[in-house]
Parts: sequence; structure tokens; C-alpha cells
Amino acid sequence: MPAIRLRILAALVASAFVVIPTPNFVTAQRSAVDTYAITNARVVTVAGPVIDRGTVVIRDGLIAAAGANVTAPADARIIDGTGLTVYPGLIDSSTALGMPQPSPTPTPSPGGAGAGFGQLRPQTSPLSALNSAQPPGLQPEVLAEDFIKPGGEQIEAARNAGITTALTAPRQGIWMGQSALINLAGDTSQQMIVRSPVALHVGFTPLRTGTYPNSLMGVFASLRQMLLDAQRYRQALQTYERSPRGMRRPNQDRSLAALLPVLDGAMPVVMYADREREIARALDFAQEFKLRAIIAGGLEAGRVADRLRESKVPVLLSLNFPRRTTAALPEADAEPIRVLRERVEAPKTAAKLVAARVPFAFQSGALTNMADFSANLIRAIENGLSRDDALRALTIWPAQILGVADRLGTIEAGKIANLTITRGDLFDRNHRISYVFIDGRSIDLRPEAGGAQAGAATGTWTLNVNLGSGDIAVSLVLQQEGERLRGSIQGGLGSSEIANASTGAGGDLRFTVPATFEGQTADASFAGKITGDDMQGTVNVVGRAPGSFTGTKAGAPAQPVASPTPPAEFRAAVSSNADLSKLKGM
Amino acid sequence: MMRRLFIHFLTCSIIAGFLLPETFAQGRVSTPDTLIRNVTVLTVTHGTLPNADVLIRNGKIAKVGKNLNGGNARVIDATGKYLMPGIVDCHSHSMLDAINEGSLSVTSMTRMNDVLNPNDVDLYRALAGGVTALNLLHGSANAIGGQNTVVKIKYGRPVEEFSFPGAMPGIKFALGENPKRSSFSPQPGQQRRYPATRMGVEEVIREAFTRARDYKKTWDEYRAGLARRDQNLIPPRRDLQLGPLVEVMEGKRYVHAHCYRADEILMLINLANEFGFKIKTFQHTLEGYKVAKEIAQHGAGASIFADNWAYKIEAYDAIPYNAAIMTRAGVNVSINSDSDERARRLNIEAAKAMRYGDLSEEETLKLITWNPAWQLGIHDRVGSIEVGKDADLAIWNGHPLSVYSRVETTFVDGEIFFDRQQDLARRADILKERAQLEQAEPNRPSSGGASPPTPRRRRPTNHDDDIWEGGIERP
Repeated sequence: MPAIRLRILAALVASAFVVIPTPNFVTAQRSAVDTYAITNARVVTVAGPVIDRGTVVIRDGLIAAAGANVTAPADARIIDGTGLTVYPGLIDSSTALGMPQPSPTPTPSPGGAGAGFGQLRPQTSPLSALNSAQPPGLQPEVLAEDFIKPGGEQIEAARNAGITTALTAPRQGIWMGQSALINLAGDTSQQMIVRSPVALHVGFTPLRTGTYPNSLMGVFASLRQMLLDAQRYRQALQTYERSPRGMRRPNQDRSLAALLPVLDGAMPVVMYADREREIARALDFAQEFKLRAIIAGGLEAGRVADRLRESKVPVLLSLNFPRRTTAALPEADAEPIRVLRERVEAPKTAAKLVAARVPFAFQSGALTNMADFSANLIRAIENGLSRDDALRALTIWPAQILGVADRLGTIEAGKIANLTITRGDLFDRNHRISYVFIDGRSIDLRPEAGGAQAGAATGTWTLNVNLGSGDIAVSLVLQQEGERLRGSIQGGLGSSEIANASTGAGGDLRFTVPATFEGQTADASFAGKITGDDMQGTVNVVGRAPGSFTGTKAGAPAQPVASPTPPAEFRAAVSSNADLSKLKGM
Repeated sequence: MMRRLFIHFLTCSIIAGFLLPETFAQGRVSTPDTLIRNVTVLTVTHGTLPNADVLIRNGKIAKVGKNLNGGNARVIDATGKYLMPGIVDCHSHSMLDAINEGSLSVTSMTRMNDVLNPNDVDLYRALAGGVTALNLLHGSANAIGGQNTVVKIKYGRPVEEFSFPGAMPGIKFALGENPKRSSFSPQPGQQRRYPATRMGVEEVIREAFTRARDYKKTWDEYRAGLARRDQNLIPPRRDLQLGPLVEVMEGKRYVHAHCYRADEILMLINLANEFGFKIKTFQHTLEGYKVAKEIAQHGAGASIFADNWAYKIEAYDAIPYNAAIMTRAGVNVSINSDSDERARRLNIEAAKAMRYGDLSEEETLKLITWNPAWQLGIHDRVGSIEVGKDADLAIWNGHPLSVYSRVETTFVDGEIFFDRQQDLARRADILKERAQLEQAEPNRPSSGGASPPTPRRRRPTNHDDDIWEGGIERP
């Protein structure tokens, strides 16, 4: 008997070690290590004073502890943080990360005809919701979370700049859709979502399909009419619910239903506005319907700062400062003085908002070259923004504006373990992102440019770029400058500088450069593969369908091609005034 | 004793507390009083006063006479110069970020007030031409266009200050070639927008007003139901497109109708009578002289070009005597610009009507002052130099109807918004600022050889309000 009991006991004990599959609330694929301790590092918690030498412990996707006297647990993987600084993961407060690539509108329209100002981009097909009473572009029920695709180059580029969380929404349409706040890591979109929906996004850009509204005043009229209809819809629903008998039921309308939380003030409205008059119009419109507004863009927000503060309207301030993209020939037309002023004033806006006590957060503003993100942050600091405020505008302030301050934005126990760890201060020009943690997992970062791969990329290349309307010849020059791979393009896409190209294993080459195509300038992201003296790859111009390119490396410094020498008889005929009839047929 | 002293002190300080804010807080900087001395005053309604003085106080014309005592007013010596009321331009598309909502034929729900751009440099240039008020209209792409806005040109001020107080709301109609899109082909793959004929244009307007009439009825029924305290009433859908048309029928909104041909003018008069409203102005109306009597009988005004003709087929029969003939027939005629370029020289345009048709000097000046003010419902405030009216004035260095004359100073509400001497003095400063900005780091050119993209022109100027946002942009 005891033997059997022992066996039963053994079986019971053994069964205790069987892992019963539990519903995975956190991550589907658990990495082997989920406990980390970053020791001996400078920790900037943003919640309190800077800890000169401290430890941060991550467990199960959350920050377990952070402080000067915290000891690393026994099962933690230790990361030696000597010489490193730990920041809360950076938040990009307005992006289109994870959203599907824009496809061009089916009806071709002459580029840029009519109203266009500020950072207007050519309209491309808006995302479409199912069974909507409204045309695409006027569907407030579109949810970003339905369209998110994890991974991809842009998410990778953002992470490499230290960004761990982003607010993402579609960029097309008038009612663009309801945004989602996502962590930039995860195998499925469900794992990425931190909060959804966050806000309803409105761009005051007319549709380019030729249908109503295709002008700016039409945009305002249609938005106004929809909000009035939504107010009536709410009243009709309430009346019907009270006593349905004897009353015709109001037609179901998902678009109007999606506007109700906005009318109630429960969901904020993010309005894209850069110029002073655009911001004023947006604020007037929000006031008309008592909407809770947030301004995205804010290039001239400094000029309306007092009104923004009084209306309690935060700003998602774009770091996509206007820049001069090509050089001026001596005989080129002078740019208007307004354009020159704007380029100088743009970096000063952040400091002005701080002085006027307007809450704000930074966003990348459709920047595709994240090197500009860091560079422009530094310019904002050089123009009056304090480093502390700059950091807050990337961490706790966006968390507050987007309603997640209780779970993100600082390094405090219990918050989501999103960390950006740098060598050197985050706002120093030469800082390096050493580690990025998202949801407590370490992210693979792209290696810096340099080494053999960079050597393969440097030189002069002749590219053939195809953006859908024939080949464009572009000359590309890349050279190594210290730590950075720099260069320039010239030719069919205009002349511009490449501030930061990157190379990867296997001959990958990536860079982003402003390109002028069909009269408009937009960022073009090149991603190619180099094999020997050839390269090929894809190019994405903001607002267009992806294109492709091929290229060959120019050999030794190009010998001046000798002009073709005319045949001997011709030369003789011409020089001696001989009978020119001999030239016939030559 | 001490207590009484203390109470006295307390009461004094409380009283002082009330008084002090009055003395220290100036609040809005009020415009200084101005005395324009020894100027030839073209009152427009009360003849010409040579060597007179005009006193401006609190933005209004306070006194007109000889040898006035200005008190503390700043004095402007205008000896040898002429003072004229600010020109009112009855048809303008300045300071608008968009002009046509061309996707539909009836766009009465759109408002030009939503798309104002107070930074438009054309406003400054208009001030330099003596213009002080504008009627900002929707374009002529649609049979029924959008709602207008009347503004005072207060260049440099926030946009809220531009709104002309008391101006009647208006709406733009258009007849003829533009709303039927004669000169535009549809986009590839798109159908031609209805209407394509003049009869279609009429039908569009009639159909819209029929719907508006029904819309008005549903609201009247709803209000009656409320009065009867009916249960479970849901208000009818508030339709932003039909609302303004109801206002037209109720006489609360002026109609400014772009038209050319005599037959369509008569058509619209008949249609308006059918629905019980009046057209306030016919815009362009280059064949207005043919139906001047009918226009006068209807009570409408006409706002025309002086001598433009033949730029399209429906303008072939235009004649420069149009203004004179219609004036003699009793029509209130104004001359407008419909162009940022022409707005700078409306004085010359008016003078042409004097040359062709022998209008008197006063009738000619009225074409750009009192008459357009009447057409916009602002004639109680501007349009002539009379005591009590707004100080919207311009000082000219010669008679305004002379081709050699130029504006020296322009006042709006008694404040100077353009002064030629100041402008010349500022030019050096602007050049210096530009040089400084060109040197700033963000503006320095990068390496490489191509020219920067030229700043895109906002829209072509000198057009016939015929820009269609979705169509082919004219060069």
C-alpha cells in the first residue's frame, strides 16, 4: 500500500510541474529572459530628481523597481549601465506608423491645383470603413486599430531613434479616423495597442477625387453639417429609446454614432493646423461645437499661444521644421521673406509654448528621416527650450495629453517597461542609442553606419528611379564623414543633401532625402541592396505609391568622354571649303 | 482717534482702488484723433468743399468745415491734396484661401468666412489704391454659390477685426458660361457636372428654391407642433444648404448674381419674382444696358467692369457706355474689380465711365463709393464724407479721377493703414532684415547646383472669378 501511495504521491507531485497553458495576457511569445536589471546607470525618471547611479529592474513587461539603492534580483539578466543613461521610452505623439501605405487616388488630378498651403500633401485614397453612409474620407468611424500592421521599416527607424510608443492614425481623408496609441514592438497589432481609440483626427484638406467637398470651405461646411446631424441623431436616439412605440425608428448611422463621444467631450479631436489662421479656424470650429481640441502641427502656434492657453488646447508640436532643400543659383528667384522668417522661427516655437504655459508634446510630423528628429530636437533646445522640458515633451507630457500618464511616461514602479538607454545625453549631438526596451523586451537595433558595408556604399552612383511615369536619372554621392555616412543627390529629383544614410548586413543601404518631383518636394526613402557595383531597391515618396530604382557605381573618377570625332572626310571638306556636296549622305 | 483715522484711510484706499484701474489701465489703444487740414473734400453726397478741414474722432468723422479746432488731434497738412471716401469694392476674391467649391452646382452651405487669410499682401496693395472695404464673394463656378463676407481692410489686425459691422449677409449666384462650365472639360473618367446649358442653370436655381420652400414648411410645421406641445417631436434636419435660401426668400440675405446676357438677367428677375424675393445686385452684367429699365424696375443694383469686353463669348456685346446708360435709367451702378490687380486702380476704372457717357463728377465718384456701399447695405456707415460716418478715407495727391493721382494715406476707422511715406521709409529696413535672414543657418543654401523651387503662386490674378478647384488651372 505505501508503495502505491508513494507512486500516487509522486504522480501528483509530477503533475504539479506540468505546465497548464494559461491565457496569454501579456505576450504570446515569451522570450527566454523577461527579467532585466540595468545597473550602475544614470537614471532619469522624469518623476523626480535624476539618479546619478542607480538600477532599474524590469520584470514581466513592467518596471519592477528603479532607484539608487535597488539591488538586482538573482534571476535578472544584468546589463552593465556604466556610462549609460536610462530614460523613459520616448513617445511620438502623432504618426502614421503601422498604417497601410497610401495608394494614389484612382482619378488623376493635376498635381497641386488650387488650394494648397502649409504642409499639404497630395491626397491619396482614404481608408474605408464597412457599410458606411458616408464616402471614404468622411468616415469618423474608421479605427486605426483595425488597420495596424506590426513591424516594417518605419517602425524600425522610429525605434532606432529611441521612440518606443507612438500615436498612430491614418493620414488621409477629412475625418481621418480614430487614433490608437501603440508600443512599437509586438508580433500582432493586439500586442502593440496601449490604448484605442484615443482621439478623432481631422485634417482640413479637401478630397481630390472631384466629389464634394473639394475646397476648403466645402470641408468646413461638410464637417459642420455632419456634427449638426450627429446632434440631431443623438436627440432622435434618446427620444426613440424613451418610448419607441408610435415613432419611426431613426436610421442607424455608424458615422454619426462615432461623432457622439466627440460632441460629448469624452473623446478629444486632433486637428491638423500649422499656420496661425489655420489654428484659429480650428479653434473657432471647436468652439462652435464645444469640442475638446488638440492642435497637431503647430508651426505658428507661438503666435496664438495665449488663445491656446485660455482655451486649454494642447499642441502636438511637429519637429518637421521647414528647411531649404536645394541650393540657390545666383539667378534664382528670391524666396519670399515670409518663407525665410518661417525657417528661422520654427525652432523657437517650443520655447514660446513653455513660456506661455501651453501644454505640448513633440511629434515627428511625417518626418521619414529620424536623424532630423534628433537634430531638430537639439535645434529647439538651442532656441530656448530647456533640456528638462524637451525630455518632458517626449515622455510625461504626451502621456498626460493622450490619457496614459498612469501607465507610461516616467520610470516608476508599476509602469510599462518602455526604456530608452543612451550612451551620452539624449540631447547631445553624438549620443548613441544603446538599448531600447518595449514592454520589457530588448529590441534589436540597427547597427550604426560604418565598416565594410559603408565602404561598399561610398562613391558615386548613377540611379534610375521609377515613380510610375518613366525613368528619372539621379546621381548619388555617398561619403563617410566620421561616424556618419553622408551624401547628396542631384539630377531628376532635384539637389538635396543626405544627412544620415545607414548600411546593414548583406549590403543593405537606406537613406531618406527630400526629392522634388512633379513640382512638389517631399521626403523620399530609399531602401536598397548593394551587390558589387550594382544596387537596386524601392523608394517611397511621401504621399505616393512606392517606386523602384536601380543603380550602378561609377568606376574610377569619370574620364571626360571624348566628343565624337567627325569622320576624316568631313573634317577635310569643312576645313578646306571643298565641294560641300560631298557632305551629303554623311 | 486712531480708529477713525484708520477707517478714513481704509475708505480712501478702497475708493482709490476703484479709481486707479481707470487711470492706469488704458485697455485697447484708442486711435488718436486726427485733423486733416486744408484739403479739397470730395463728400460725394454734398458736393466738393475746397480748402476744408476734416476732424476724425474715435474712428468717426466728427466735423467737416473750415478752420476747425482739432484740440489734441494730430494734424495732417493736406494742402493741395484731395480727400475722398474709401473705395468700396463690390466684387473681390482677395484674402481667400479658396474661391470655388466646384463639385456641386448648389453650394449655399459654404461660407467665405471660413477661409479668410488676413495676411494676403493684396490687401495692402488695395489700401494703396484707396480701397477700404471689400465684398468677398464665392466664385462663379456654381449656379448657387457660397455665402459672402464684407470686410474692412484692417491689414495687420487679427481676422476677427476685419468683419464689417452691420453688413447684410449675402450669397453668390452665377448664370451663363461659368456655371455651365463652357470652357472646362471634365476630368478623365468623370462625368460632366449638370448643368451644361443655360436652361439647366435656371432649373438648378428653381429646384433649389423649391426644396427650400418645402424645407421652410417643415420647420414652420415643427414650430407649430411645439406650440401645440405635441409629444416626441424631433426637429427637422437642419440643412445648411437650404437655410440660406430660406433667408433669401425672407429678405434677410442679399443675392449677388453674376450674369452677362440680357436674356439671363430677365430670367433671373422673373424667377426671383416667382419665389417672392429680389436680387440685390447683378454682377458684371455687361449687357445690362439692354435691360436697364427692367433692372431699375426690379430695384436691383448693377456692379460692372468699366470697359472689359470680348474675353468670352457672353462678353462680346459689352460697351463702355454701360455704366452711364444704366445710371440714366435709374439703376444703382457700381464698378468693381474682381481682381487684385484692378482693385488698385478703381479710380481710373470709374473715370472711364465719365469719359464714355458723360457722367458728372459726382455720379462718377459714386460708382466706387456710395453706390457699392448701398449695394452691400453699409451706406449708413461708409460711402461718403458726412459727419457721423466711419472715418474710412483716402488722401490723394491729385484729383482721384486723374490718371496721374496716387494715394498718400488711407484711413480705416480713423486709423492709418497705408501711408506712402512710411512705406518708402520701411523699405530699407526690410532689405536689411532680408539680408540678415539669408545669413541665418536654416536659410543658407546647401551644396549642389539647382535652383530652389519657386514659391507656388496662390492662384492666377486678373481673372473673371473663374477658378475651379478641381479643374484645369489656367496659367
